[in-house]
Amino acid sequence: MQFKNTVVPMIAISVLLLSLTACPAQPAVIPTSTTPAAPTQGGKLIYGLTLVPSGIDPHVNASSELGIPLTSVYDTLVYQTTDGDFVPGLATEWEISDNGLVYTFHLRRDVTFHDGTPFNAEAVKFNLNRIADPETKSQKAVLMLGPYDHCDVVDEYTVKVFFREPYAPFLDSLSQVYLGMASPTAVQKWGADYQMHQVGTGPFMFKEYVPKDHLTLVRNPNYNWAPSIFTHQGPAYLDEIEFRFFADPATRALALESSEAHVIGEIPPQDAARLAKNPSFRIVPVPIPGQPLQAFLNTAKFPTDDLRVRQALLYATNRQAIVQTIFREYSPVAWGPLSAVTWGYDDSVVGMYDYDPDKARTLLDEAGWQDTNGDGIREKDGQPLAVMAYLMSWGYIPEVATMLQAQWREVGVDFRSEQVAYPAALEAARLGKHNLIMFNLAGSDPDLLRGFFRSDANFNWAKINDPQLDALLDEGARVRDSDKRQTIYADIQARIMDQALIIPIRDYVNLNGMSIAVQGLIYNPQGWFPWLYEVWLAGTGE
Amino acid sequence: MVQYIGKRLLAAIPVLWGVATLVFLAIRLVPGDPAEVILAQSGGSSASLAQLRTQLGLDGPLYVQYVRFLSDALRGDLGRSIFTNRPVIQTISEQLPHTVQLALAAMVIAIVLGGVLGSIAALKSGSWIDTLCMILAVIGVSTPVFWSALLLILLFTTTLHWLPATGQGDLRHLIMPALVLGLASSGTIARLVRSSLLEVLNQEYIVVARSKGLSESRVVLRHALRNALIPTVTVIGLQFGFLLGGAVVTETVFSRQGMGRLIVDAILWKDFPLIQGIVLLSAALYTLVNLVVDVSYAFLDPRIRHE
Repeated sequence: MQFKNTVVPMIAISVLLLSLTACPAQPAVIPTSTTPAAPTQGGKLIYGLTLVPSGIDPHVNASSELGIPLTSVYDTLVYQTTDGDFVPGLATEWEISDNGLVYTFHLRRDVTFHDGTPFNAEAVKFNLNRIADPETKSQKAVLMLGPYDHCDVVDEYTVKVFFREPYAPFLDSLSQVYLGMASPTAVQKWGADYQMHQVGTGPFMFKEYVPKDHLTLVRNPNYNWAPSIFTHQGPAYLDEIEFRFFADPATRALALESSEAHVIGEIPPQDAARLAKNPSFRIVPVPIPGQPLQAFLNTAKFPTDDLRVRQALLYATNRQAIVQTIFREYSPVAWGPLSAVTWGYDDSVVGMYDYDPDKARTLLDEAGWQDTNGDGIREKDGQPLAVMAYLMSWGYIPEVATMLQAQWREVGVDFRSEQVAYPAALEAARLGKHNLIMFNLAGSDPDLLRGFFRSDANFNWAKINDPQLDALLDEGARVRDSDKRQTIYADIQARIMDQALIIPIRDYVNLNGMSIAVQGLIYNPQGWFPWLYEVWLAGTGE
Repeated sequence: MVQYIGKRLLAAIPVLWGVATLVFLAIRLVPGDPAEVILAQSGGSSASLAQLRTQLGLDGPLYVQYVRFLSDALRGDLGRSIFTNRPVIQTISEQLPHTVQLALAAMVIAIVLGGVLGSIAALKSGSWIDTLCMILAVIGVSTPVFWSALLLILLFTTTLHWLPATGQGDLRHLIMPALVLGLASSGTIARLVRSSLLEVLNQEYIVVARSKGLSESRVVLRHALRNALIPTVTVIGLQFGFLLGGAVVTETVFSRQGMGRLIVDAILWKDFPLIQGIVLLSAALYTLVNLVVDVSYAFLDPRIRHE
């Protein structure tokens, strides 16, 4: 290989490639005038996303980020209110058979897709079948569809959905963008490239997606079927929404301050505290339902196979200090396997294992762990009390780990950790090499616990094998009566905490920073996804 | 000559095959499974990991996957990204121009800045100006890119409102990222220009030029600098690789498109087809560039003949 003079041909090639680039962009204008009373029509909103979604077809891909723009492109058959009730969307009403196996939906008759295709029962069937088709390679939607069997078109505006077994989370799934209704015409026309040409029935139309740069939506002028969760009918207020990507957390607050975006999520807590003092901005913390940030304790590996050791670790964890130091009080302390805003959350877990280092010491004494050599770490049978953690690098996990290490040392536990890439952490957890692994997953239905605590679950990182817990988790997925369901999930949460399978740390809160010009922005019950239909910009004068 | 090019092209085949094999094996030796990464995003309660592996073509024995990969690559098909499901070639061709644009702009800044600093230092060798220039060069080399990037954003965007902090588009979007990247590289170039210029200035032909009564500027520009640039140009070529690497951080901080983020994300997420595609295309490009360089010697320097 010759290295000499490579610069000349490289420059020649580069110039060639350079001439191929073309990237138009306009700087955003953020007005800061006072708030008028009535919504203003028009204007362009710049919405900052925090990571580039891996793929953006909601039926195919699994990223939470894709839902932020696409919730405005797709309507769903039902909508979920922030109280957790389901209200009509593209379906005006629905019946569920007594055995819970058949859902009949009556559809709106006045809806057309952005490409003019009429919305009807055939379209619903097409969409559900597309998701269920193995060829689609759905990564998330197919799981949300559960034990779906097939779909029957009864008449043009009535459709029956059949399940192989009862599936309680179905309406919750249906209310999310992953099961949004896409135009059958567009899906068939574009095939594998559909994600770049998406067509729904929502208040905004997909205009352009340049990966890693921007995604643009424009107002759907024909929109006249807004669900009752909104206060107005007809087209949306904004002309256009441009989503841009701000992968580096350090630049998000700067981008708001320099008017390069009106709204950005996942502002780092320390920047949020600073922005909150600036009258031109507000911080909107949105609690995310699902799992809190939690540490799974491996019940199959020494020394966390001992219940007393696991309980001691819980008592030795000062969550209040973690929340104050790392999350600047923006996140509530978590007490159980579900965050407080999740449907089915049971508050009897609150206060369990409150910080009590003395109790931790007593438990470790009882379990036979003593510091015999005076190094500050307890031993038993010549083995030090060491726990091994595999750390992923996101979600402040390394920072939390640093605090845990200091806190646990106080009671004589040696916290050892290795920071690894995400796939490697998942593999270590699957193979059970860990004593502890931290993780959190968003989701509005408590059925997500099944993927983590059932004995045969893919992500059973506590390595728990509890037939009674398995039975409860299965029942929770089947039972439709919401009171009964609530009781089941209360039992599940208690059972998980009684066995000290996890150390809950903090409920996940998305810190959204926004210009005060942004009006009418609300977030759907999943917390991640903004409803942009009623957003308007104060003082744009457009 | 044609025979020479033919031979070299034939020699490139085992090189590319070796690269393809190495990257195929290396990324599979690192722990982690892309199917698991996908499932972890959705909880994946009822899905079996095995089913997803089959869908993604990650199931069969390694040699089957290897043969499939090689035969597809031979037909010019690098597959689709596991995570975006978009063709690898299309993904790369979208991102490459942005990184090349950034690296080129940074290169220009590095050469101009490094050349000027280095020349001044050499001409004023031993004086306080020389010391100052070299201190600046050391600062340039040792300042982390992410730090200087944030400082520039604070100054030019937040305080002065002159330049946009993020994104891409017109020249204004390019100034800060190119400056940050160029500064880091200019230090190295300045030090090199200084030392090679010093060496040349002591040569006899410079003494001759001066004794002929040529003006100092003519001596420096026409006789000294031109000869001093030969080793520098070689290093500039190497620096181009450094710039492409430095683009990773720069692209992230300034929210720019580009290869930097693409390759890092691909590796972090274990997107096998994308990693393979990027490495293979880079290797092919590099092999080609080397061939062009070697062939061009014959035209540039009549004394060299490829027989």
